Amino acid sequence: MIKSLVQAKGLVKHYGERKVVDGVSIQAAEGEIIAIIGPNGAGKSTSMDMMLGLRKADAGTVTYWEENYRSQVGVQLQDTPFFPGMTVMQNLRMFAAFYGQKLSRQRSIELLAISGLQGMEKLEASRLSGGQQKRLAIALTLAHSPKLLFLDEPTAALDPRARRDIHELIRELSAKGTAIIFTSHDMEEVGKLADRILLIDKGKVAAEGTAGELLMQHQSETLEELYLNKTMGAVI
Amino acid sequence: MKSTIFAAMLGLTLKDKITLFYSLIFPLALLIGLGMYFDTPEYQEKLIAGVTALGALFWGVQGIAFQVYQQRSRGVYKLLMMTPFSILSFILTVTLARTVVGLAINGIILATGLLLFGLTYSIVNLLLFTGLLLLGTLCFTALGFVIANLASNEGQINSLSNLLQIPMIFGSSAFYSLEQAPAWIKLTGEFFPFAHMINGQTAALTGQLTEVLVPMSLLFLFTVLFVVLAAVTFRWDSRTSFLAIRRQY
Repeated sequence: MIKSLVQAKGLVKHYGERKVVDGVSIQAAEGEIIAIIGPNGAGKSTSMDMMLGLRKADAGTVTYWEENYRSQVGVQLQDTPFFPGMTVMQNLRMFAAFYGQKLSRQRSIELLAISGLQGMEKLEASRLSGGQQKRLAIALTLAHSPKLLFLDEPTAALDPRARRDIHELIRELSAKGTAIIFTSHDMEEVGKLADRILLIDKGKVAAEGTAGELLMQHQSETLEELYLNKTMGAVI
Repeated sequence: MKSTIFAAMLGLTLKDKITLFYSLIFPLALLIGLGMYFDTPEYQEKLIAGVTALGALFWGVQGIAFQVYQQRSRGVYKLLMMTPFSILSFILTVTLARTVVGLAINGIILATGLLLFGLTYSIVNLLLFTGLLLLGTLCFTALGFVIANLASNEGQINSLSNLLQIPMIFGSSAFYSLEQAPAWIKLTGEFFPFAHMINGQTAALTGQLTEVLVPMSLLFLFTVLFVVLAAVTFRWDSRTSFLAIRRQY
């Protein structure tokens, strides 16, 4: 039986008088790839922050498969946070240690290979190019072999080859049972990768389902067309 | 795992060359300049106490404040908040790493002072003096963490640091006697840990060992207070107020 790893129900968040998230529910099971799409400011990141415990929800609940879930969740943020002054390898070791793991040499080599950063382990992380920093940010999320991954625009600012590598990585992880929740503005990527898609607009789930279901329900030719129709009037 | 984080933080601290230089060279220059000019053993003893305490203050407060601010701005703490590693453990690890380096810096200053002025002390005196240095460095590093948590930008770090450091230095007997000073200056000093550190260190060097206990206890209380404040005011996001609700540990 496929186990549900995270279930967020009816999340609500206000910033002052403004309701930025209004009853959003998201769930992910083992091996599932969930894409959250929507215009900038639609409430995607705030919903993710509430799921991660970074922001307190005004209403709603978030339930993980076990109490000690933090050590098995990986998070890649839109920005690329590293310890300034530390090398690629030092950052990898540091974040693995935060998750209570000592990074073996073998695992370090694997992570560098996954992220395409072989030979760069001694470089200061902040001196890497934007794309390389993104790759490192993803490697950091994998250092402790998480069961559940949150990826916030994982392929933004990556070249096509790196983008393809990340897509392959996401598929491989999913095949091994890792649940992945990611946000993206690239509808082609979403269509290729996601098992289920959540379209959030003005803080609400405007559409949800597989790519096929969504296209059929909303009589659209492509996900991009569906996105544009459902988010009409939004500032993109 | 804490050893990995401690070692990484130690390495990072040693890369902070500007603060290292500032915390070592400035007190050394003061020590040599004033110590050679006012060459009485009594003054030189007070000078060693004052200069090492000053080194601990500069090293502790400003060094950590800028380091924490930089790490927060890079979003590192946002990721940290999502790991099982507790904020209190992180604060203690960073504080300890900086304290080790701070103690090494003050070890150099102390050794230079003793050799330069030809002063000798018993092991007990030196141990008490080192204990006070350790407590003082911990205390000021934790205070630096609090300042970094309260400040929203680098300018505020400077302002807050100066706002606290200047009354601390002028309200203590680090470089001059407070006997003739107005009562309010003496009173101001009492509210900060720096004056107690100076009093304790001077007592440790002059052999008035029973007079070490009260300043040492007060310094310890200030250290606990600042560590607690650092944990309570800790924030992962550079955009939110430190009063924002966060996960509590």
